[in-house]
Amino acid sequence: MALAIDEDRLSETFAALANSTRRAILARLAEGEANVNELAGPFDMTLPAISKHLKVLERAGLVERSQRAQYRPCTLNPAPLEEISAWAGQCRAVWEARFDRMDDYLSKLQPQRRTGERDD
Amino acid sequence: MTDGNTSHDAVVIERSFDAPADLIWQMWTKPEHFKVWYGPDGAAVPVAKMDVRVGGSRLVCLEMDTPGGPMQMWFTGEYREVVENQRLIYTESMSDENGNVISPPDMGMPGGHPATTEVRIELEDLGGRTKMVLTHTGIAAGSPGAAGWAMALSKLAAHVEAQAAR
Repeated sequence: MALAIDEDRLSETFAALANSTRRAILARLAEGEANVNELAGPFDMTLPAISKHLKVLERAGLVERSQRAQYRPCTLNPAPLEEISAWAGQCRAVWEARFDRMDDYLSKLQPQRRTGERDD
Repeated sequence: MTDGNTSHDAVVIERSFDAPADLIWQMWTKPEHFKVWYGPDGAAVPVAKMDVRVGGSRLVCLEMDTPGGPMQMWFTGEYREVVENQRLIYTESMSDENGNVISPPDMGMPGGHPATTEVRIELEDLGGRTKMVLTHTGIAAGSPGAAGWAMALSKLAAHVEAQAAR
C-alpha cells in the first residue's frame, strides 16, 4: 500500500491545498458536483480566476471535469487526499515507535524513578 | 505563528514521559542521546550532527541492514526555533552525506514523502514529568499556505473516509 504513493503527486497535492480558495472549492465539491459558475458563486472572483484554481486542482488530480457539453461539472477525486493520509499514517507509526524507545531509554537512564516511587 | 490550528496538522502526537523537561530536551539536542532512540527498528544512527541554534543545521544518518547490504539514508535541515527545555522547531529534507538536499524519488525512496517537512517539539514541565507534543507537518512553515493546508484534510476527512470504505 505504502509503496504505491507517488512522491511527485504528493508534492503537487500539498501545493494545491496550500490555498484557501482551492480548499473552499474542494469543500464545496465534497458536497457534490458543481460547474464553474456554481463554484464561483461564493467568491468575489472572476470566472477566469476560478478556472485557474480549478486547473491547479485538476493537475493535482483532486478534481475531475466532465466533458459533458456546456455544463461541464467538476467532481472531487479524494484519492490524492488518501495518499496524504497514508503519508501521515506512516509518519505517525514511525514516531510512536521512536517514542516507545525513548521511554525505554529514559527508564534506563534514571532507574531510581521507576523503583523509588512506592516508599510512602 | 501560533494559530491554534495544531490539531489540524498532519501528525500530532502527545506523550508524557516520567522524566524532567531538561532531560527530554537532551533527547532531542544531544547526539549521544538522540542516536539511541531515533532510529526506526532495525536501523542505527551512525551520524547526528546538530548545531542547535536558530539557523543552525542538522545532519542525521540512518543506516539499516537490507538483503543487499547496509543502506544509508541522510537527512538535513535547519533549526527554526530553539527555546531550551520548551520548544524546538526544525525542518527536514532527504540529502546526501554532505547535506545537499536530494528529492525523495531521486533517492529511490519507496514510500511517499514530501520533499521538506517540519518537526515541532513542545515540552511542558509537569513537575518531574514532562508532556511532549510532536507536530510533523508535510510542508515547512514559511512556505506559502503552510498554516492551512492540513485544514483541508480535516474538513474533507469524513468524505475521504466514506470513499475509502467503499
